[in-house]
Amino acid sequence: MTTFRNKKITEALTGYLFVAPWLFIFFTFSVFSLGYALYLSFTKYNLLSPPVWWGLGSYQRVLTDDLFWQKALPNTFKYVLIVVPLQTLVSLILAFAMDQKLRARKLFRTIFYLPSVTSSVVISLIFVWLFAPQGVFNQIFGLTINWLDNVNTAFYVIMGMNIFTTSGTLMLIFLSGLQDIPTTLYEAAEIDGADKLQTFMYITVPMLRPILFFVITVSVIGCFQVFDQIFVMTSGGPLDSTTTITYLIYKWAFRDTTVKMGQASALSVVLALIIIAVTFIQRRVIEGSGSTTE
Amino acid sequence: MKSQFKILSLLFIAAFLLAACGTPAAVAPIKETQIVTVKETQIVEVAATQTEVRLSGWASSPSETALLESLLYRFSVENPGITVKYEPITGDYKQALLTAIAAGTEPDLYYMDIAWWQEFAKNDVILPVDDLMSASGVKNEDFIPSLIDAFKFDGKTYGIPKDFNTLGLFYNKDLFDKAGLDYPTDDWTWDDLKTAAEKTTDLTDATKPIYGICAAADPGRFPIFVFQNGGTVMNADFTDTTLDSDEAIAAAQYYTDFRANKTGAAPADVGEGWQGTVFGKGQCAMVYEGGWLISYMRDQFPGTKYGVVIPPAGPAGEGNLIFTVAWGISKNTKNPEAAWKVVDFLTNEASQTTVLQSGFALPTRISLQANEYFTNNPNSAAIFNGALNNAQPFFWGSVGSDVNDQMGKALERVYKENQPVADALKQAATAVREALAAQ
Repeated sequence: MTTFRNKKITEALTGYLFVAPWLFIFFTFSVFSLGYALYLSFTKYNLLSPPVWWGLGSYQRVLTDDLFWQKALPNTFKYVLIVVPLQTLVSLILAFAMDQKLRARKLFRTIFYLPSVTSSVVISLIFVWLFAPQGVFNQIFGLTINWLDNVNTAFYVIMGMNIFTTSGTLMLIFLSGLQDIPTTLYEAAEIDGADKLQTFMYITVPMLRPILFFVITVSVIGCFQVFDQIFVMTSGGPLDSTTTITYLIYKWAFRDTTVKMGQASALSVVLALIIIAVTFIQRRVIEGSGSTTE
Repeated sequence: MKSQFKILSLLFIAAFLLAACGTPAAVAPIKETQIVTVKETQIVEVAATQTEVRLSGWASSPSETALLESLLYRFSVENPGITVKYEPITGDYKQALLTAIAAGTEPDLYYMDIAWWQEFAKNDVILPVDDLMSASGVKNEDFIPSLIDAFKFDGKTYGIPKDFNTLGLFYNKDLFDKAGLDYPTDDWTWDDLKTAAEKTTDLTDATKPIYGICAAADPGRFPIFVFQNGGTVMNADFTDTTLDSDEAIAAAQYYTDFRANKTGAAPADVGEGWQGTVFGKGQCAMVYEGGWLISYMRDQFPGTKYGVVIPPAGPAGEGNLIFTVAWGISKNTKNPEAAWKVVDFLTNEASQTTVLQSGFALPTRISLQANEYFTNNPNSAAIFNGALNNAQPFFWGSVGSDVNDQMGKALERVYKENQPVADALKQAATAVREALAAQ
C-alpha cells in the first residue's frame, strides 16, 4: 500500500518536473501578467509615477467613454459578426474541396495555407499596397477609391484581409475533421440512396459539429482581439471607423500624451468579460441545437 | 591605489561621415551634401575606472545614426574616462522608453520630443539642468530662444534642444513659371497665397491634375494658420482649448477653402499618403513642410526645381510651428556630471556645426545663424529663420494627443463629410474639453 502511494507521488513529481518549464512560463507571462493587469485596472497609472489606488474609477471612465460606446464596441461586434461566419464558411468550402480527389490538391492545400504562416504585419503591408489609390486592386477594376482612407471601405478591407489569412488554418482543422469521418457512414448512405447534398447535410455537417464549435470559438476570440492589422493599416482611422476595443486599449496605454494604463487595463478586463460571456452563450447555443437534432 | 592605464585602440567606422568635416577649405562650397565613407582609428589612453553613460534615441535613418555615432566617437577621444553606450530604439520609441522608466532601467540620456516631454518633468523623472549649465558656462542665450524656452517647466530647464524644424512654404519653380507668376517671397501674405493657388491650379489633365496647394487634414500643419490669424490652439496654461474661437474658425475656413474651391487638395485626393510626394511629383505647386522635405526631394526627386520661403503672414502677422527634440537626463542617473558632459558636447558649437553641414537637421545654437551653409542653402535658411518669427512649440499640454486627434478629425469631417467648418471645430473643442475634464 505504502509503496503504491510512494510510487504515485514519484510519478506525480516526475510529471510536474516535465511540465515545469511550461508552468514557469505560464505563471510568469500569463498568470502574473493577468493578475497585474487586474490590479492596475483598479489604479491610476501613467508609467512615470507609481500606480495610485483608484477603486472603480478606471471602470467608470471606460463605461462613460464616447469612443468606447460609439466606435470601439460596435466596431468590434461588427467585425466579429461579419468575419466569423464568412471565414468559417470559406474555410469549410475550401476543406470540402481539398477533401475531394482533385489533381494537385497538395499544391492547393499549401497555397491556401500559405497566408496563415506569413506574418500578419507583412500581409497588412501588402494589402496596404494592393488597396492604395494607385494600387493593383484599383488598376484592375478601373476604380479610384482610396480604400483605406474611406470611412465606408477601410474596415471591410481589413475584414477581407483577415478572412484571407485565417481561412487557411481553419481549412486545415476542418480537413482533419473531415478525414476523421468513417467512410462506412458514406458507404451506408450510398447504399440507402442518399445524394451528394443529403450526405453533406446529414452526415458531414453533424459529424463536424465538435470541430465547428472549436473553430467558431477560436475565431470569435481571435476576432475580438484583432489588433495588429489595424495598427499597421489604418491606426484606427479614418475618423475612428476602424477603432476596435484592442486598438483603444493600445491608444490609452501608449499613444496618449498622458498615459492611462489603469483605464487601458480596465478596458482589457472588460474585453475579457465580454469574450467569456460570448463564448459561454455560444456553447449553450451550439450544444443546445445539437441535442435537438439527435 | 594608483589607477592603471592601458592602451585601448578604438576602431570606429563613421559611415556617411561628411567629407567636409574638419577641412575648412571644403566647408564653404557645399551645395549638395557630400556623403562618403570614412574610417577613423585612433589610439587613446583610457582610464581603468570608466564612467558609463547610456544614451538612447530613435533611429530615424542610417545616416542620422552614423552622424550621432561619429560625434560620440569624437567625444570618446576627448573624454577617455567616459564610456558612452549608444542604445538606439527601433520601433515605438515612446512606448519603449515609458516601459523602461516604469521598470527603472531607462538610459541616462535620451531624446525627448516636444510633444510629450512635459509629462516627464511633471512626474519628476528627469533632471533639471540649470545648475549643470551654469557650472560649465552654457547660457540660455546661446540657443534659439523659442527652442530652449520650449523645454522649460516651472522655471527650470529640463532639456537641451539638439535640433529642430519649422514649416516653410515650398514652391515648385516650374509650375510658377508655367503660370507666369513671380516666386513667393518672405513678404507674402494670405492674399498672395490664395491668388497663387488659383493661378497655379491646372485641372485640364484629369489623369494628372495640378493643384495650387496641398492642404492635408494634418494637425501638424493647420495650427500655423490659426497663429497667423491671431489665434491659439490652447489657452496660456493649457487648461482649455481655443479651437472654437473666431480666429481659429476663420483660419480653418481659409485653410479648407483651398480644397473646397478646387485650388488645393489633400494628399489622398491625388492618391498619395503624404504631401511631400504630391509636391515631388509636381501635382501641387505649393506645400507647407519642414526641412525633412529638403532631404526627401534630394533623394527622391532630384530634378525638381523648388524654393522655400517662410510661411506667408496672415491678418495677424507671422506664425509657425516648432518641432524639436531635446536631450534629457534621467533622474535615476548615477553620473549626472558625465551625462551632462555628453549633452554639452553634442550641443556645443562644433558638434552643431557638423549637424548643420550634414544637412539632416538644423542646429539649435543661435550663433550658427550666420554660418556660410545658410548662404549656400537658402532653403534651409528659410526653415531655420522660421523659428525666429512667432514660432510656437508643437505642444498642447497634457492632452496633446487628443488635441491633435481632434484637429485632424475636424478637418477630415470638413473634407469627407462636408461638415460646416464652425461645427467641426466646435465639436473638436468639446471633445478636447471632455479629455481635459477626464484628467
